[in-house]
Amino acid sequence: MIAQLYALYKREVLKLFRSRYMWLMIIAQPVMWIIFFGNSLAGLPSAFLTQFLGVGSYLSYMLPGMVSITVMTTGMFSSMSLVFDRRMGYLKRVLATPTPKAAVFLAKALGAATRGLLTVPVILAVGALLGVHYSINPASLLLWVAALVAAGVGFAGLFTALTVNTSDFHAPGVVNNFITMPLMFTSTALFPRQFFPEWLRAISAVNPLTYLTELGRDAVTYGTPPDATAFIYLAAFSAAATAAALVIVERLLTAD
Amino acid sequence: MDAVLVENLVKRYGDVVALDGISFSVAGGEIFGLLGPNGAGKTTTIKILTGLTRPTSGRALVAGFDVVKETREVKRRIGWISSEIIVDDELTALENLEIQARLHGVSNWRERALQLLRYFGLADAANRPVGKFSTGMRKRLEVAMALLHGPEILFMDEPTVGLDVGARLGFWEVVRQINREFGVAVLLTTHYMEEAEELCRRVAVINKGKIAAVGTPDELKAKYGVDVIELEVEKPVDVSRLTPFGEVAAQDGKVLVKTRRAEEVLADVVKAVDGVKSVKIKKSSLDTVFINLTGASIEGEQTDLRKIYMRVRRARR
Repeated sequence: MIAQLYALYKREVLKLFRSRYMWLMIIAQPVMWIIFFGNSLAGLPSAFLTQFLGVGSYLSYMLPGMVSITVMTTGMFSSMSLVFDRRMGYLKRVLATPTPKAAVFLAKALGAATRGLLTVPVILAVGALLGVHYSINPASLLLWVAALVAAGVGFAGLFTALTVNTSDFHAPGVVNNFITMPLMFTSTALFPRQFFPEWLRAISAVNPLTYLTELGRDAVTYGTPPDATAFIYLAAFSAAATAAALVIVERLLTAD
Repeated sequence: MDAVLVENLVKRYGDVVALDGISFSVAGGEIFGLLGPNGAGKTTTIKILTGLTRPTSGRALVAGFDVVKETREVKRRIGWISSEIIVDDELTALENLEIQARLHGVSNWRERALQLLRYFGLADAANRPVGKFSTGMRKRLEVAMALLHGPEILFMDEPTVGLDVGARLGFWEVVRQINREFGVAVLLTTHYMEEAEELCRRVAVINKGKIAAVGTPDELKAKYGVDVIELEVEKPVDVSRLTPFGEVAAQDGKVLVKTRRAEEVLADVVKAVDGVKSVKIKKSSLDTVFINLTGASIEGEQTDLRKIYMRVRRARR
């Protein structure tokens, strides 16, 4: 299992690193988000921002949210890559060897998580270039990184499980939209909870993306000590999503 | 022990019966051909034997292990070569081999991989991305990938589809060599009669999910082969005058007569028809066995169309 997981993960990473477009995406997407969206509230008075965001710059508030969104949406590449492998017949090649289905899925999820994590330093660096001042708490930072890895695999698992049996290229994009859009807008990734009506607050309070984002804000925006409860919540979500995906993949994954 | 033993294998996809109770066996070290038109059930058989899909009923043993109950043991002992070439274009030949080796848990993979690359004349290309390879090179790489873990049985699903004549001849030689030198049993599917005749010690003709006949090419030719007398005629002929000699088909100034011993009846056939322009005899071959057993058309043009159509379908997939 480990040897096969290693082989398939290596394959994902090699293919990832050799794609120029992937690098373009990793670099260009954060830049566009930060420059265009990150500045969308820059005209508001600093006092207002500090009152509602706890920090005087929207960009600095938003960056951890953007990291969360990116890690979540890159999970889609796990399911896309699996659909692609089925289409190209590669899944037959793998499943005609003694490779467990779990290794096939975990390699995809880890590959997508890797891709998401590669974006994190880019986002933070672009933020720094544009004048974001980070207040870093090392313990929170460590916990955040762990949470990002867990969430990366968890979200990839969620998406992959939902498209485990299709060879339709459109499926991952569509499924992705049904999950990522609501999760993004009902979390505190982009706006603080105080802005929301009651029902939206209720959703954001159970949304894993909220917890992932707040862990990031503790780590680099506010520099506050880690929130163990948030981490446990997120870890539980990721573990449940991954476990469910493993069960579904074992049952439903077929070569074509 | 038989390399492959198949007993009364049935596979249904919903209402469609892909395999309707087939039985055959492949001896250790044998090259065995599964011959049949598209949709006959060849690929389904391979998919069951490689553990990619489960049979609806029946039993199949590969290297002595049950494909349903001991799938992993089966997969350890087999190599699989698809009709479409499946390799990672972005990766180098060596990387493709590495991943395949690790999937099979081969530890000393580099040494073996380099050996195989040399064996298949790919040593110079070891570190080049496979996307730049010719089709023949990719096919050879795929064979090398299938041999990394020293399988007992190789499954090849229409292995020479898409290869040019030279590459096809080369591939046949490769199959014969690995069979001889590594002692690997080979089960290949094909709809090229020539290929089956060149490579296979024994052949099973499969049609509509059933085995129509099993035997050596010579046995099949003797038993099911027919000669075809082809007459080019000036004007339409009275078909009933030819039916005593065998089955007759007339079309576009041509008359085809299926018969058992063409030389002996030729003179009488020609005498029975007025205005013969030319005469051709197609002697019994696996081609005619195939046609006889699968009910495919005996008109050459139609066979060509089928081939083109099959190629188009494959390209689209």
